Amino acid sequence: MTNLASAATTEAQADRAKEQAKARRSMVILYVVLTLLLLIYSLPTIGVLLTSLKTNAEISREGVWNLPDSLSLDNYRAALQDGNAGPYLINSLKVTIPACVLSIVFGVLSGYTLAKLPFRGSDILFIFLVAGLFFPPQIVMIPLFRMFNSAGLYDTLWPMIIVHAGFGIPICTLVLKNFFATIPTAIREAAIIDGANEIQVLLRVMLPLSLPSLAVLATLQFTWIWNDFLWPVIFTRSDEVRTIMFGLASLRGQYSVAYGTQAAMAILASIPTLLIFIFFQKYFIRGLTLGSVKG
Amino acid sequence: MRRKTGLHLLLLALIVLGIGATSVGAQEKISIVHYFSDVLGKEAIGKIFTAFNETHPGYEAVDNSAGHEDFKTQILVTIAGDNPPDVFSYWAGARTQFVVDAGRLMSLADFWEENDLDAIIPEGVKAAAIYNDDIYLIPMNAHLTGFWYNTKVMADAGITKMPETWDEFKEACVTLKEAGVHPISLGSMNRWPAQYWFDYTVSYTAGAEYRQKLMAGEAKYTDPEVVTAMEAWKELTDLGCFAPDSNAYDWTEAADMVANGTAAMNLMGTWISGYLNGLGLEPGVDYDFFPFPVINPDVPRVTHGTVDGWVVPENAKNPEGAKALLLHFVSKESQELWAVGQGALAASTAVDPGIYSPVMAKAAEHLASVMFLGGYDLSTTPPMAEGGLDMFAMFMNDPSGYQEYLEIAQEVADDVFGG
Amino acid sequence: MTRSRHIWAFLFLLLPVTFYLVVVIYPLFSSFYFSFTDWNGFSQDYSFVGLDNYKKMQTDRLFRNAIENTVIWTVAAIVLPTAGGLVLALALHERGILSRLFKSLFYLPICLSLVVVGQVWIWIYQPDFGLINVVLRGVGLDNWTRAWLAKPDTALQAVIAAWTWQQTGLAMVIFLAGLTAVPRELTEASQIDGANYWQSVRHVIVPLLRPASIVVIALAVINSLKSFDILYMMTRGGPFHSSDNLAMMVYNESFQKYRMGYGSTVAVVLFMITLVVITIYFRQQRGLEQLYD
Repeated sequence: MTNLASAATTEAQADRAKEQAKARRSMVILYVVLTLLLLIYSLPTIGVLLTSLKTNAEISREGVWNLPDSLSLDNYRAALQDGNAGPYLINSLKVTIPACVLSIVFGVLSGYTLAKLPFRGSDILFIFLVAGLFFPPQIVMIPLFRMFNSAGLYDTLWPMIIVHAGFGIPICTLVLKNFFATIPTAIREAAIIDGANEIQVLLRVMLPLSLPSLAVLATLQFTWIWNDFLWPVIFTRSDEVRTIMFGLASLRGQYSVAYGTQAAMAILASIPTLLIFIFFQKYFIRGLTLGSVKG
Repeated sequence: MRRKTGLHLLLLALIVLGIGATSVGAQEKISIVHYFSDVLGKEAIGKIFTAFNETHPGYEAVDNSAGHEDFKTQILVTIAGDNPPDVFSYWAGARTQFVVDAGRLMSLADFWEENDLDAIIPEGVKAAAIYNDDIYLIPMNAHLTGFWYNTKVMADAGITKMPETWDEFKEACVTLKEAGVHPISLGSMNRWPAQYWFDYTVSYTAGAEYRQKLMAGEAKYTDPEVVTAMEAWKELTDLGCFAPDSNAYDWTEAADMVANGTAAMNLMGTWISGYLNGLGLEPGVDYDFFPFPVINPDVPRVTHGTVDGWVVPENAKNPEGAKALLLHFVSKESQELWAVGQGALAASTAVDPGIYSPVMAKAAEHLASVMFLGGYDLSTTPPMAEGGLDMFAMFMNDPSGYQEYLEIAQEVADDVFGG
Repeated sequence: MTRSRHIWAFLFLLLPVTFYLVVVIYPLFSSFYFSFTDWNGFSQDYSFVGLDNYKKMQTDRLFRNAIENTVIWTVAAIVLPTAGGLVLALALHERGILSRLFKSLFYLPICLSLVVVGQVWIWIYQPDFGLINVVLRGVGLDNWTRAWLAKPDTALQAVIAAWTWQQTGLAMVIFLAGLTAVPRELTEASQIDGANYWQSVRHVIVPLLRPASIVVIALAVINSLKSFDILYMMTRGGPFHSSDNLAMMVYNESFQKYRMGYGSTVAVVLFMITLVVITIYFRQQRGLEQLYD
């Protein structure tokens, strides 16, 4: 009897070992394929990085895709000193963070309301709010300029903050309405029965649940606002309020191009958005393990 | 009673303080926007502004620049929005005409007279300042166009005398091809470098007067004169004179080809000398210049080019400061600094001719002997210029369809000029 | 009960909607207004031309060209980054610590601004030293090399490829967020029931990813319809308009040809097209959302 039983267990153990080996093998294969894919996918990015570390003279001699003879940080120094990258980065921060926060707050307010407090016509209002995504910003450049100019805000950081906050409403509403729609009404009703008013429901129950979506939105909004260069061109003129993307685009002159310095400034300009992603990625994974968004 | 006196005193105090605040230590700002945003240009103009601020302590010139394309967008928006800078750089010719016709620029005729600019700005360049019989632009520099060639490549191919006629030019191209180099490089990725080919083939077959009519919409792109010009251009493409895929390269890459000897010549403006010098080539030794060859000896000789200048918006906030700055721009020191930094010809004749390299001196001499005309996209109104530039790019993509392209261009002309 | 709910709804919506009206809608109507004029964007005066701009658009060769290209781009946008993003998300979801590194690296292109993306892809497509042609020559496929951005038949596709490269990372991130809402028990249950991995993907995971895919596709479509920055950086719509899309045409007409009125007309059309596409899409998906309540 025991022999049979132990034979059965060993067989089961052997089976499981085989399963595990198979799983490990497929994991390895997966990662090999992914790594190859990643390498090819990252070639452009690697190109920018390499270019930023080569001297301008070497680039004009040998083009962009050759491995550098020598690595140098000259371009970064040039970007920070002559290119004035430091103040530009700070201006970008001063615009991006407030605009990000504002548009997300607005998105929560409208997304939650349209999902959980609907009324006749809320569908139309939804489409109306999302419609802001539908047109190329070029067409409202001049009206917006006139508006801010008569308010005396031209050549300050305010127009960019306000415009980005306003134009961020569509995407934030879209994502958050979709998200809040997946939360069962039962949760809301339970909270109300427990005596919470609408504000408390929103802040204490719904908002914590939405943190992963907020994390995603914060990342996206930060990146889009940070990377924008159209509004700075329209709304600013002076160096003191110039953002990093405008500064970067201005490096492309008609008569001479310093690819190395450009690449260095590009790398500097990209670091904040990458940091934001890394930071928020940890956050929404943590949010996940708290069991907040299952079912 | 006392309260009223108290109020009056307060008001008086405020007024005095107010006046004091604006006059004590406050410098009047002059805002400028320009398109010399590349490394060399920025450096040169930065020096000019610094000199101005030092010699004019009551003023502060505030320098702002943007790349050419962004500049066009920005300036349009600020003018339309009624908050323009006090001075901005602009391209003389049809573009300035456009802005003048929109009623957006301030007349500078008085400024010109008061400061006797006739004494330092030659007739040919002054023409770039005049619109609707009034002066609206102060020229900063002039660029003309011609062939810039690699001296060693030419010497190796056995070409000792630069071609002066069309036949000589075609012969030279054949010789160069046999020697294994591309005779001509053209970097028409941004379309405009190709325009000079059209300009010269039209001016040198049909004449500058006809071209003027074409630019103004009084002649058609489908006229036999234009067809003749395109066919002359096509002779070169049929001979394989151009390095392949012109539309894939921008003008600096085409210049690189001449610099490193893969190509012999490039038709370009004098700013290329600044670029070639920056690559380490020595003017006169490594590269040199010759004007576009004559096709029809009976038509007047011209040179096509660009004049960069400064204009003042009609609703500028600080026109007096603007004019002080303009005066500084045409001063001998500024002009010399600028010409050297930009590889340009100074607008002012008062500069020391010694600042020019032997090649630039040759170009300056040439400028003095021929009529100066704007390049295509500065000679015709912007909507038409777009259509024409497209046509040149289409031609360099596939020369065989030139008849069709002319018809397309004429469609645009009909739309723009109301044909 | 409903009354107080409605009051709260109004209060919550007050701030965002007002802000939106002032900053987005009012300027938009301003532009709609200009589509009925011949304003050149510049001068003090202009005149009303009624529907002339709209009539002109119907016979405009450039407009037809821009619409064709926009459609091509939109179709590519629906298919390419979505599929790529989904595959990457599935491959990297809950695969351990190493996957976090991979996720970041695949997401990286989004962090690069379009100024950079455009420039680097120009270097990739360059005919002599560009990466693609160098590789092709290296493996002996010389006659496959071409001037990608300079030839009318490849320019648009080349720009779309660069755009897709960046957009895929975005799709991946959104799908990853969506996958966090897919309970692992469900996939495990289906596999115990005998389904292999791919079947469980098709029948369990993909349907549960519908909300995420709504966002992914909507974003991709909208971004493609509006995509201007990358086109501006890489080809400006060239060579001679062969890679123009509607957004580029708006810019060209308004700022290069100084025909702001006509540019606004094209913008209105672009707006309408996007509106129609999205409305159809949302109508189709609306049934699904009601499932969740």
